Amino acid sequence: MLRLSWSTFTERWPLFIGAALTVCLGVALVQSSLLVLISAATLDVPAGLSASDAIRFTEGASVAVTVSALTLGFSAFLAVFIVGSTFAFTVAQRRRDLALLRLAGGGRGQLHRLLLGEAVLLGLAGTAVGVPAGLATMSFQSWLLGALGFVPAGFTAEWRTWILGVSVGVGLGVALAGVLVAARRAAQVRPLEALRDTGDAARVMTAGRWVIGILFTAGAIALIVLAPIGGAAGGMAMAVNVALCGSVALSALSPLLVPGVARLLPAGRAGVLGELARANMRDGVRRSAATAAPLIVLVALVLGQSGALTSFAAAGEAEQRRSTVADLVVEATGPVGAQVAAVPGVAAASTEIEVPVAVTHGSGEDAETETGLGLVVDPAAYPVAHPGAGSLDGLVGRSVAGGPGGDGGAVGDTVGVRAGDTDLGPLPVVAAVPPGIGGGATLLLPPGLAPAGDVAAGPSRTFVALEPGTDPGAVSAALTSIGTVHGVGEWIARDAAARDATSAGVFLVVMGLGGMYALIGVVNSVVIGAAARRPEFAAARATGLTRRQVVRMALVEAWGVTAVGLVLGAVAAAGTLAAVLGATTAVTGHATLALPWPLVLTVVAGAFLVTSVLTSWSATRGTRVTLLAARD
Amino acid sequence: MTGTMTGTMTAAVPRTLQAAVELRGVSRTYGSGTAAVRAVDRVDVGFPRGTWTAVMGPSGSGKSTLLHCAAGLERVDSGQVLLGGTDITSAGDADLTALRRDRIGFVFQSFNLIGSLTAEQNVALPLRLAGRRPAKAEVRAVLAAVGLGDRTRHRPRELSGGQQQRVAIARAMVTRPEVLFADEPTGALDSTAARTVLDQLRAMVDSGQTIVMVTHDPAAAARADAALFLRDGRLVDRLVHPTARAVADRLVALEG
Repeated sequence: MLRLSWSTFTERWPLFIGAALTVCLGVALVQSSLLVLISAATLDVPAGLSASDAIRFTEGASVAVTVSALTLGFSAFLAVFIVGSTFAFTVAQRRRDLALLRLAGGGRGQLHRLLLGEAVLLGLAGTAVGVPAGLATMSFQSWLLGALGFVPAGFTAEWRTWILGVSVGVGLGVALAGVLVAARRAAQVRPLEALRDTGDAARVMTAGRWVIGILFTAGAIALIVLAPIGGAAGGMAMAVNVALCGSVALSALSPLLVPGVARLLPAGRAGVLGELARANMRDGVRRSAATAAPLIVLVALVLGQSGALTSFAAAGEAEQRRSTVADLVVEATGPVGAQVAAVPGVAAASTEIEVPVAVTHGSGEDAETETGLGLVVDPAAYPVAHPGAGSLDGLVGRSVAGGPGGDGGAVGDTVGVRAGDTDLGPLPVVAAVPPGIGGGATLLLPPGLAPAGDVAAGPSRTFVALEPGTDPGAVSAALTSIGTVHGVGEWIARDAAARDATSAGVFLVVMGLGGMYALIGVVNSVVIGAAARRPEFAAARATGLTRRQVVRMALVEAWGVTAVGLVLGAVAAAGTLAAVLGATTAVTGHATLALPWPLVLTVVAGAFLVTSVLTSWSATRGTRVTLLAARD
Repeated sequence: MTGTMTGTMTAAVPRTLQAAVELRGVSRTYGSGTAAVRAVDRVDVGFPRGTWTAVMGPSGSGKSTLLHCAAGLERVDSGQVLLGGTDITSAGDADLTALRRDRIGFVFQSFNLIGSLTAEQNVALPLRLAGRRPAKAEVRAVLAAVGLGDRTRHRPRELSGGQQQRVAIARAMVTRPEVLFADEPTGALDSTAARTVLDQLRAMVDSGQTIVMVTHDPAAAARADAALFLRDGRLVDRLVHPTARAVADRLVALEG
């Protein structure tokens, strides 16, 4: 049986290389993300750092952990999905060979063992290459995290020997899981039906596809419904996962959807070639669906994730514009409120000074400490600059208020607070401003509570309202001696741009390599699908089609499948955007949607480019009429 | 399974008189409702041991379905199929697999060789699937018997159609099956290659092999010991020691 596997391998190597490549990249990505995550999570605060700096360091590291965990999640999902769909497709592509084996006296068990044995070999081969590839991926990911400022300079992820076991497990696991259902099905089908591709063998829409399709559709709908009640952070996480569930569901159901969408595509002007291409698309549902699947996932994840990030950033900016009443913003260091207020023409000034804090909720074994940002505010001026914040009259002496970050605690709680190097002890939460979608400070502190040294050194911003009729230019000029002065609109735009840069960084880390992986999945299925079609292309040539016509026919078909993948991916991404609308409405009261159009266009153009180039290449190779004679 | 499944009714019949394959009231319908097509309609027929029977009829007469039912490749809706006295009508997949391994061989119009394997490997395949390690000499002898002793290491695509079909015959014969089923074995071959293949089959029958062959070619049918004619799934005629002319006349009559 092994020799049979080997000769099959030498004959159909693109199939097996493609399958092993998906395992290899999956293993590399999961291994690297896991190691980076562990290294970020166990990052020790460097010795000799002041408590203030240590809190800032921990804050930064926790962002790195979140980003790495997201990356790991996406990588694992993509590995399972792409390896699964590639392996199932490779088994489907060989059903004729498998039927011949059955006719020559092969039993079901033998077929099953043959396919599982191959999966084990491919899984091991993929892992063997994937582990060293994972090391390269790891240094790239560490570098990326550092370059984007998520981890301190000099961060390197550490190799751990036990990861070898994990990687082998991942490689074998995804390979076996991918082939298990397909192998069972291939062994169940009656040989004559498999040979002629009729009856059960021809059915592409299997029970398993139905189950997965329906389950994940339900999951996506549930997430859309739940996103509005998840709060700012929960809503965002749920929204992103809608595209994930949606893409799995649509990929599973794609054999149903591909022919339907294919019918919608305009074919009028393409003439007989267009008709041929459409017929091919419908007839080769298995191939069309296998090509569309990784594309659906790629488009759904890229558009869903980036759309969610952009929309939430836009919602945060809009929210800040609504919740800020001021004319000018002064950026300075320390408590400059009195100086600002003394400038002629200033009607009101709310100064907010950043102090690193560590907040402990609960006590004893349940105690949980989170680091974050504290703002020392003027309880009287803050609600004036931020209408909607509610009264902060009670925020005096030894008390704190929950900040717009939303995780400072509810009114009535008592939390342990550490500001900078000083333990302030347990403090009552006497007020809480509504949580903002753009996040922000964990706690608001009254003046005089935090250590004077930390406050004096903390970066501050002062929101300045001018008296009616004053010349903003003159006041600005007067304020320049205190700090940098911006118009409030300009300041909010700059603040939003900084946040956008952070979301773009998160997106790059989480989706960058994953997107490449999904793209390779697309390449793979196009190449595997085309390899089996050379006799068909040769036959088309023999029927009188010119080489150019064959290539054009193949191209029209590839564009059709690409369009289907893009449309279905966009549908899954639209689920995420629906959840974004719900979540932004629930959190800010205003439904917000912003799409990163340049990225959308890049994805669309890139998908067409990749499938076109690959298809032209393989169709050109397959147009020699002599190939017909070579068919066995 | 052979021991337990042997029908008591046929056990008493002397082996020489017993048909290698026997169909009793076999029907097979495709589709359902108004679209239902009865491809084989209550057919009773026996194929005697050591004889070559050609099954003929216009396209759509059900001859291929009849062959597939007789070989256990296709389930029958009603009736019985007996292979050497064994009722295979309700045999499970494991039994049918064992049957394909040991007792029956197939040859198809489209050769159906595995493209990645050499001639030698293709021929050895059924034995290896049965868990045996055939000696090289054994496999080569079978290939030599079909006149391909010098083509053992060629892959199917390096062989002519006639040569591929002879490899397929060698593969079917390597297990020394009780019955060889052939579905249009010369359908894809030119007349010279077809003649070589038919000579091969004739030689095998003369040394005791049972062959059931579906064909639409009167010249091929003329090489068989008997020809059966089907129309609309029914057995309508039978010629013993057919000639090409007689077969062609019957076919014309059936088409009309």
